[in-house]
Amino acid sequence: MDAELLSATFVDLADTLVAEFDVIDFLHMLTDRSVALLGASAAGVVLADPRGEPRLAAASSDAAGLIELFQVQNDQGPCLDCFRTGQPITVADLTEPGQRWPRFAAATTAAGFRAVEAVPMRLRDQVIGALNLFGATPDSLGAEDRRIGQALAGVATIGLLQERSVRRAEIAAEQLQGALNSRVVIEQAKGTLAERLDVDMDQAFRLLRSQAREQNQRLTDVARHIVANPAQTSRPRRLPKTEYQMSNDRVRQAPPSQPGLTTGRENRR
Amino acid sequence: MGDTGADVLWGLVAAQSASHGGRVSVADVCAVAVGLAAADGAWVTAASGRGPDFVMCVTDPVGEQLAELQLMLGEGPCHDVLASAAPVLAGDLGDPESARRWPAFTDEARRAGAAAVFAFPLVIGAIRAGAMGLYRGVPGPLGRHFGDCLLLADAATVLLLDAAGEGRAADGDGPGLGGQAPHLAHHRAEIDQATGILTVQLDVPVAEAYARLRAYAYAQDRRLAEVATDIVARRLRLPPAGGEDQP
Repeated sequence: MDAELLSATFVDLADTLVAEFDVIDFLHMLTDRSVALLGASAAGVVLADPRGEPRLAAASSDAAGLIELFQVQNDQGPCLDCFRTGQPITVADLTEPGQRWPRFAAATTAAGFRAVEAVPMRLRDQVIGALNLFGATPDSLGAEDRRIGQALAGVATIGLLQERSVRRAEIAAEQLQGALNSRVVIEQAKGTLAERLDVDMDQAFRLLRSQAREQNQRLTDVARHIVANPAQTSRPRRLPKTEYQMSNDRVRQAPPSQPGLTTGRENRR
Repeated sequence: MGDTGADVLWGLVAAQSASHGGRVSVADVCAVAVGLAAADGAWVTAASGRGPDFVMCVTDPVGEQLAELQLMLGEGPCHDVLASAAPVLAGDLGDPESARRWPAFTDEARRAGAAAVFAFPLVIGAIRAGAMGLYRGVPGPLGRHFGDCLLLADAATVLLLDAAGEGRAADGDGPGLGGQAPHLAHHRAEIDQATGILTVQLDVPVAEAYARLRAYAYAQDRRLAEVATDIVARRLRLPPAGGEDQP
């Protein structure tokens, strides 16, 4: 366990009062740090949607195989049960016989994971979301990982709902809908960028994120601008680093100098 | 929260439409929302820019006043929902928060007879189609039908976008209402990604890209998510505007 990264993560998760706070970027930080700190190889956050199924808000990788694992869980899986019960759920080895969620277990092992953990994000008695951790080997998520995962999810819940404004339950409901729509804006921008620059969806997301950081803008605002002005987007000289590398860079205060996208927006500043 | 489900709600909207013999429209969605949420009235305003700017339908004179007031005053829940892309649940216009947020609107709305206003953004990501509002004459929380209202707002969003798409199409033969339930609730990321891809491929604004995606799926009698997956996988390119469908 990287104690320095752990304490930096708690500080970052609690620091949501900054002007450029972006809910999706924030949840991505939660998933990235979960991977960096815990024995997890991948992580994702799903949020409750009163329409019905929980929806994926952030994942440590936008690789298609990982995204599928959240879609499978609309029918069955530890995340869904975690939502229903409000309790954390651990599966130490998905290949053991007699799995509670056979389809989920099959899809998850096919994607290269053996252990899974679902941690509830609770506001009082309401489950607003869940942090889902995936481990590459059996028992890769130990007791300490579970405890820290729960602490991270708890701090993130408070940060997500910006507690200062959550006086009424309605405000949490309103804010969660805003967060879900932000995710949609980002998916649209990924499509625009992927087509415009001939990159895959994962690379498109990294480009979005690096541009938001360079320009000190909210991820959702950058995404909105790209969707509205696809023709102004030009190709960076090289693609940014992976999210894992970026999360480490950020913690160590050594931002890499990267040529960014040009959207025309910076010209106005 | 309500658990009526998208299909059941869409059935209610279709039945509402059949009762007057017209095509399904946002007015039918409003009528269903009023019934479900025990509201006294509803309205839908369309947006072309950042705020609401055109009243599409109202269910009653008070609803009309509330919709018009917000356009006139330039403030109110429908402005806020378009700015934040999140609903506003103002269960009591008599509380200090409402007076602080919308000083002019709150006064006028209460005078018109509204005690609670619930506003829903008609948005899909970066697409801003408008806002749907509900009001009640007595204060109190919206309650368990929040999810149903979100689903109805999804239906209204798609109806507004399809109508706008038909306005652009010369033949006027869009998906309209004959189509299936607009399953925004079972939304998949591929649909949003495909919409973004189409803004570049077809060189159209994002709202039109989405309408074109839906129109294509409808014309081919395929599920939206399937068509989107093909576009994302680069197995399918939609024909340019006015062109014929290609395999």
